[in-house]
Amino acid sequence: MLRTFKRGTHPPAMKNTQDCALTDFSVPEILYIPLSQHIGAPAKAVVNVGDHVLQGQLIGEAASFVSANVYSSVSGEVTGIVKKPTAIGMEVDHVVIKNDYKYESVSLEPLENPTKEQIFARIKEAGIVGMGGATFPTHVKLSPKNPVDVFIINAAECEPYITCDYRLMLEKGQELIDGIHYVMKVLDVKKAYIGVEANKPKAIEYLASIVPDDIAVMKLKTKYPQGAEKQLIYSITRRIVPAGGLPADVGCVVSNTHTCYSIARAVAGEPCFKRAMTVSGEGVEKKGNYWVLNGTPYSYIYEQCKGNVDEKMTHKIISGGPMMGFAQVNLNACTAKGSSSLLFLSNKEFEHHTPSQCINCGRCIHHCPMNLQPRDIDDAVQEKDYKKALDLGVMNCIECGVCSYSCPAKRTLVQSMKLAKKSIKERGIK
Amino acid sequence: MTRMVVSTSPHITSKSTTQKIMLDVIIALLPALIATVVIFGVYPLFLTLLCIESCVFFEYIFNRIRKKEQTIKDLSAVVTGLILGLNLPGTVPIWVPIVGSAFAIIIVKMLFGGIGKNFANPAMAARVFLVLAWAGLMTQKTNPVIGTDIGYFSFFNYAFSINPGLDAVSSATPLGLVKATIETGGSPLQSVNVLSMLLGTTASSAVGETCAIAILIGGVYLLCRKVIDWRIPTFYIATVVVFTALIYSKSQYVGEYILTYLLGGGLLFGAFFMATDYATSPKSWIGVTIYGIGLGVLTVVFRRFSSMPEGVSYSILLMNILTPLLEKIKTRPYGVPKRNIAKEIGEKFKARSKKKVAAEGGENG
Repeated sequence: MLRTFKRGTHPPAMKNTQDCALTDFSVPEILYIPLSQHIGAPAKAVVNVGDHVLQGQLIGEAASFVSANVYSSVSGEVTGIVKKPTAIGMEVDHVVIKNDYKYESVSLEPLENPTKEQIFARIKEAGIVGMGGATFPTHVKLSPKNPVDVFIINAAECEPYITCDYRLMLEKGQELIDGIHYVMKVLDVKKAYIGVEANKPKAIEYLASIVPDDIAVMKLKTKYPQGAEKQLIYSITRRIVPAGGLPADVGCVVSNTHTCYSIARAVAGEPCFKRAMTVSGEGVEKKGNYWVLNGTPYSYIYEQCKGNVDEKMTHKIISGGPMMGFAQVNLNACTAKGSSSLLFLSNKEFEHHTPSQCINCGRCIHHCPMNLQPRDIDDAVQEKDYKKALDLGVMNCIECGVCSYSCPAKRTLVQSMKLAKKSIKERGIK
Repeated sequence: MTRMVVSTSPHITSKSTTQKIMLDVIIALLPALIATVVIFGVYPLFLTLLCIESCVFFEYIFNRIRKKEQTIKDLSAVVTGLILGLNLPGTVPIWVPIVGSAFAIIIVKMLFGGIGKNFANPAMAARVFLVLAWAGLMTQKTNPVIGTDIGYFSFFNYAFSINPGLDAVSSATPLGLVKATIETGGSPLQSVNVLSMLLGTTASSAVGETCAIAILIGGVYLLCRKVIDWRIPTFYIATVVVFTALIYSKSQYVGEYILTYLLGGGLLFGAFFMATDYATSPKSWIGVTIYGIGLGVLTVVFRRFSSMPEGVSYSILLMNILTPLLEKIKTRPYGVPKRNIAKEIGEKFKARSKKKVAAEGGENG
């Protein structure tokens, strides 16, 4: 029996790009580097218009503890600081850099046999955030309030299409393990687990052959959302994170594969300014996994990957995975630390349905990994009865999308959940 | 870049749609329909088609009059008509299916808000309504035509008559015969044949429910396609077995009673196709358990003690009506600790006595 969690669903894997090795993506002439690539306070710009910056130079300084430094990804001239929407639709300052294609770079001082404090300081300095998509500053996560005894690496990659973590495991296995060891040192834990879904046998085999004794590779059942934090912790350790609690409450810290890799790079001296990214979907010709510099506009990626979206076809452009990612209004947004994928889905790959009346089949209830009743919460939201939604436990919703995915009436259940959570927070309903 | 769709996540959805689910139910009912034609002739098929057509027609008309979006494409009206047709005696005149369909669709389904909002399974509520309104017609026990010299089209003679010929109706169904043996104390298998119950070649007042094999094929299909909740038929049938065993525990023919109760009447049909109706069955574990056990207990009680032959229909109707109450049982979100009810009550009690002490203290002061 493979390890897994209760309920959940099985979207098609669609890992079309799993055999595409990571290659360097070409660099545009003008990059827009968002100053808020993380959860928390946006970074403060430390460069002015007209400054010459180098690759790896600090351009945005963390504004508070829950914030992260931002580095320039190319060398060139700062031509402006403009407000622009990011991939999730937030208006933030972007530093505009005109690439001089010289790639003169500065790096942080490489650490040899670093101590716990040195590693922690470096993670903070290099601006490492959770690179699975949540972009929570890693140094905050690594200072848990409770004692921690298990470190879990989230390599489930349960979202359809995305394969960048898979390629990272196959190609950068050694650096990944170094990164894991640095985190273990910071957290003072003796045991780490890498959770990988069973549909990546090559990665499991390879990692199992190179990991030392203190890291175990766990084969998990291929089921969505295997990579959701609470579900992953349950699958691997059988510990249940209390409602409203954090993984540290049950002695766990979970981090994404790419985050661990970036930590290893940071200790070696390279701050966080590029990442592995999957470009996929029927709408582009050159699907693949690429090293993309932060600040690359989506329109540039579309051009370089020979986007062939048919003018007559309806299509959908998604930043992130198809289950939890954000549909784009246009291609103006730019890549950031959390951009794990950019998908150009044609109307063959997604169907646009109009919601119809709930038939009470109970699929949303049977599949919800958080054991909620999306049908009832949706009803409450339709009546704008947020108090009832709160009583039904809507705040526990992880917005994984399982309910909407499995709904035969194609009701927009996740949308209702998000609306309820937002309204409850805004109105302070208790 | 012309047409871009923007929506909230998730951006992909499962292949399952309401229409596909209903199509699965229709497919699952086909074995029972074929068995009906083979056993009871062509007239029941005609009645069933009439039910389907009237159900779709009434839903169409209702939506037109109310100026609502047309919903007949979701095929749920077809399912209702099909189930209703299979639940009629094979000799009723042609206005019975039309009246039944009107009741099922207009009153039980559409007036309560359409699909998913009906308070009871529309087909079953319509059957109960017809039984109450035309008890004589609806309790006629149609004789099988297979293996007899009655023609496959002969029942068409009764299309406009309320007095079917004696060759068409029987005096008793297998369960009626079993009930008779309770008084005499003999084995129930003296009067009924298990093989004919499995094949469905027995008299019945609902033509579709006799062939146990055909119903089981359909039921297993629905379970494999994950259309119905496996817990409902399982709990229902298991409770019937256990409760029958309890009631007849003194008899030396317990096994035979259980067998005839399982195969006889509408139990299998009800358990797979009617009790599992989405809108009228609970979803939580506690709810489903109470629902299934309630169905089983009520069915056995009606069959053993009631003078009416409608055990399954009445028990499903009663539990359908109880469902909104069972649906109020909330699930416990992941990570929320189990409620310790004993402790909660204890604490409430403590708080109350403290208040009391405080109040008394206040008076004294």
